[in-house]
Amino acid sequence: MSSMMRKKTQVSFVIRDEEERRHKNGISSLQLDPIQGRLYSAGRDGIIRVWHTGAGTQDRYIQSMEHHTDWVNDIVLCCGGKNLISASSDTTVKVWNAPKGFCMSTLRTHKDYVRTLAYAKDKEQVASAGLDRAIFLWDVNTLTALTASNNTVTTSSLVGNKESIYSLAMNPPGTILVSGSTEKVLRVWDPRNCSRLMKLKGHADNVKALVVSRDGSQCVSGSSDGTIKLWSLSQQRCVSTIRVHSEAVWALLATENFTHIISGGRDRLVIITELRNPNNFMIVCEETAPILKMCFTADQQGVWVSTSDSDIRCWKLPPHNSLISDMYNQNSYNTNNVYQTQPLYNIPGGRAIRNYTVLNDKRHILTKDTANHVMLYDVLKACKVEDLGEVDYDEEVKKRFKMVYVPNWFNVDLKTGMLTIHLGQDETDCLSAWVSAKEAGLTTENDQKVNFGALLLQALLEHWNHPNRVNEAGQKVIGNNFFSVPLHTPLIFSEVGGRTLYRLQVIDAGGETEGNLLMETVPSWVVDVAIEMAAPKLNKLPFYLLPHSSCQSKQDRQKKDRLVANDFIQCRKVAEHVVEKIVGGGDVNGASASGGKPTTNEDSGNDAPEERVELLCCDQVLDPNMDLRTVRHFIWKSNVEFTLHYRVLKQ
Amino acid sequence: MSICQDLGLNFQQRMGANISQLERDIGSEQFPPNEHYFGLVNFGNTCYSNSVLQALYFCRPFREKVLEYKAKNKRTKETLLTCLADLFYSIATQKKKVGSIAPKKFIARLRKEKEEFDNYMQQDAHEFLNFLINHINEIILAERNQSTLKLQKPSGEGVTCNGTVPQNTEPTWVHEIFQGTLTSETRCLNCETVSSKDEHFFDLQVDVGQNTSITHCLKCFSDTETLCNDNKFKCDNCSSYQEAQKRMRVKKLPLILALHLKRFKYMEQYNRHIKVSHRVVFPLELRLFNTSDDAVNPDRLYDLVAVVVHCGSGPNRGHYISIVKSHGFWLLFDDDMVDKIDASAIEDFYGLTSDIQKSSETGYILFYQSRDASC
Repeated sequence: MSSMMRKKTQVSFVIRDEEERRHKNGISSLQLDPIQGRLYSAGRDGIIRVWHTGAGTQDRYIQSMEHHTDWVNDIVLCCGGKNLISASSDTTVKVWNAPKGFCMSTLRTHKDYVRTLAYAKDKEQVASAGLDRAIFLWDVNTLTALTASNNTVTTSSLVGNKESIYSLAMNPPGTILVSGSTEKVLRVWDPRNCSRLMKLKGHADNVKALVVSRDGSQCVSGSSDGTIKLWSLSQQRCVSTIRVHSEAVWALLATENFTHIISGGRDRLVIITELRNPNNFMIVCEETAPILKMCFTADQQGVWVSTSDSDIRCWKLPPHNSLISDMYNQNSYNTNNVYQTQPLYNIPGGRAIRNYTVLNDKRHILTKDTANHVMLYDVLKACKVEDLGEVDYDEEVKKRFKMVYVPNWFNVDLKTGMLTIHLGQDETDCLSAWVSAKEAGLTTENDQKVNFGALLLQALLEHWNHPNRVNEAGQKVIGNNFFSVPLHTPLIFSEVGGRTLYRLQVIDAGGETEGNLLMETVPSWVVDVAIEMAAPKLNKLPFYLLPHSSCQSKQDRQKKDRLVANDFIQCRKVAEHVVEKIVGGGDVNGASASGGKPTTNEDSGNDAPEERVELLCCDQVLDPNMDLRTVRHFIWKSNVEFTLHYRVLKQ
Repeated sequence: MSICQDLGLNFQQRMGANISQLERDIGSEQFPPNEHYFGLVNFGNTCYSNSVLQALYFCRPFREKVLEYKAKNKRTKETLLTCLADLFYSIATQKKKVGSIAPKKFIARLRKEKEEFDNYMQQDAHEFLNFLINHINEIILAERNQSTLKLQKPSGEGVTCNGTVPQNTEPTWVHEIFQGTLTSETRCLNCETVSSKDEHFFDLQVDVGQNTSITHCLKCFSDTETLCNDNKFKCDNCSSYQEAQKRMRVKKLPLILALHLKRFKYMEQYNRHIKVSHRVVFPLELRLFNTSDDAVNPDRLYDLVAVVVHCGSGPNRGHYISIVKSHGFWLLFDDDMVDKIDASAIEDFYGLTSDIQKSSETGYILFYQSRDASC
């Protein structure tokens, strides 16, 4: 891994429970291990889960395989169930120990989302492809032998795709590979020598599902044009077009002898069709959401189906001789023709967060999920605060409105259905949020100012054994002095808007290998603030200070004074400055040279500054507790020529 | 007989050879009653304005609305609209049938209203058209809001608490003549949901290809663009960035369709704009094929009524003229000179098939008027 990054490195983390036993978003792929009786499911929440497939209604959850940072788009179970290969929108392909569920290695050859995998079982060969138009061939046995020291792998690539690839298929002997893309044309190669064999034209839209027959002579494709086509690869032509679906076809299965096709897609119907006689078809079931993937049960009498909802269901397949040849009366929307309405098994899924609102304190987030539950999260401490249940989301947002302005120091990403927080890309953004420690509830003592970004980075990297963790007094400083974040919190380093570079849990940062990888990945500004505890810069806010027109006398009339103060300075402090420098005699200009930071003046007597001087903005009297940036944001409402007025009160 | 001939000769002597030639070309019997063909004097590179004003004058629905404005407007304040109305009125009420006029007041006011035009440099005719249409529209809206205010009770009812007047959002006559609607359709390639967003337009900016037709260029205008790589689409349904296909289609066709051919391109290697003289054929009759499925009036048939032509080799250099259709025949306005031309002469303004020649006379802004006069 090179430490010379052209793009900026971004720090992100996910707020979640330690164990997430249910899928929190749609499920893009399924693989069955018939011998162990396990079902593997690839989630758009970035997690691959493993389930028991036996009869019964128990909780089927076995384990989670977590390492991807974005949607897992496809998985392939290889080596008789020992290994799993996964493809993700985080641009990586990962190799897993399937029984134990840990990630063995990460392949970084793709440059964009990896959408699809193909498997040639007889050869233990896997192909990966995606939006970067590249197809890479992998030998699984080589992949599983990779170690930290023996970490190079050669791959061949199949060249020729002109557009993004959304589907791939290989026959078990690995003599044929077919790709489907937005080009609408199917491209066919011989993976043994990487030669291009043919192009098959006919579809009118993207092709998202493919199956190849065992002998490589036939192929079936499912397209966003709503049709399924049977192709003869020996004759290089389309043999028939099956129009049983009313919308895009996204998933296909073929029976072993290639006599029947099971298809599913955007119209939520699973349909079984006899290939040679497409008039014989039947609607197996109607799902709750568009179908993304299917796989046979061990005995091939049923299908596991996954959709863009988070549940997984198992449905019985009708016997092949019961398919009705009654095309003209068959109506896809007529649910009387559905083979069954209840599934054999149901693996319930969880909920995805679909809406969020960052509260004005720039620390708390209110969210709403697919079941309309509202939750409150604390970004600073990387944890959930409260589950409010099914309350009115907009009302909760309104209830929690506070007239306070804190600069933006992070972004929220809902791609996985969980809260991924991306910290600001550099010191200016990430470390812009200075707040009063007392107001943030972090301390009850003195009124010190703390920086949200700095505190969080210190907590996220608390366990990293960096050699520079020593302060001026020679003591080893670990973390911030206020709080820690959950140990299981995933910490992610990635290229801004791009590829994931490194992902680990906060607790793992203490390991030696992890520590070395962090040395290569973590940007220097982060090390400065999180390890060396360097104080971030303060935000300076320029403003004009004038006497208010209502009390202007000839003596008071002075030209506009331009001052600068820290953006979190309260109006009280500005009033103090006025008392000191203007009311108490003296030169306002002298004051501005010191940067507007007023020193306490014992001579000002026992009166609080706000009892002697009033501050106004846009003719509104200001609360002495309000800070300048809040006044500028809510009252002045512009970044230009921010002006305050003062008025001396009768004394 | 001889008296008529004498009169004819006198007429010629008094008028000047150019102009009387026009009346002769048209024919005194065929000369449309109540019509006037007046050139506009050039004040130093003001042909960008002259050419557009002529084209607009011969967009009858527009001319009629401007004259109507002149008749109804009781205000004394001078605006660009009042100057335009005065100019159109002046042309429409001339005693003579042909001649030339100096649009002094209009140009003076134009220079006051837009800093960039306050000089003697050549300007871009389309920029002027865009400015003029939008500015007139703003004037109409402002005057309409003022009237609304005056009609309010003295207590100031109807004014909101922060001092603004609730805007009347009914379309102005400028909207009714020139405004169309484009709909931008984006289909997420992951969930395949199509989301649409409407935008209004006063004219369409069309890229030009070599040896093409305006119909072809309009089809390309509606070509599918793929949002991918670093420019993915943020899909609300997927809560993430996905590839998408986007295309623009016309949802509502305007009464007068103004097409701006993008003939001035910035070339990085030369660090300046150059003129693209590609030959783009434009027909006398036009129908659009890139209308959306829910388009209001997709089969609208248009007739070409005016063309602003750019003559020369580069932007901000060269000359603008316009050709207009009036009562079935075509005229060419070149500042103060007006000539009758044959419809076939329009082909001279399609552009060049090769880039060998440096200078060209090319159609730059096309004005098509809907055959059904209703909006």
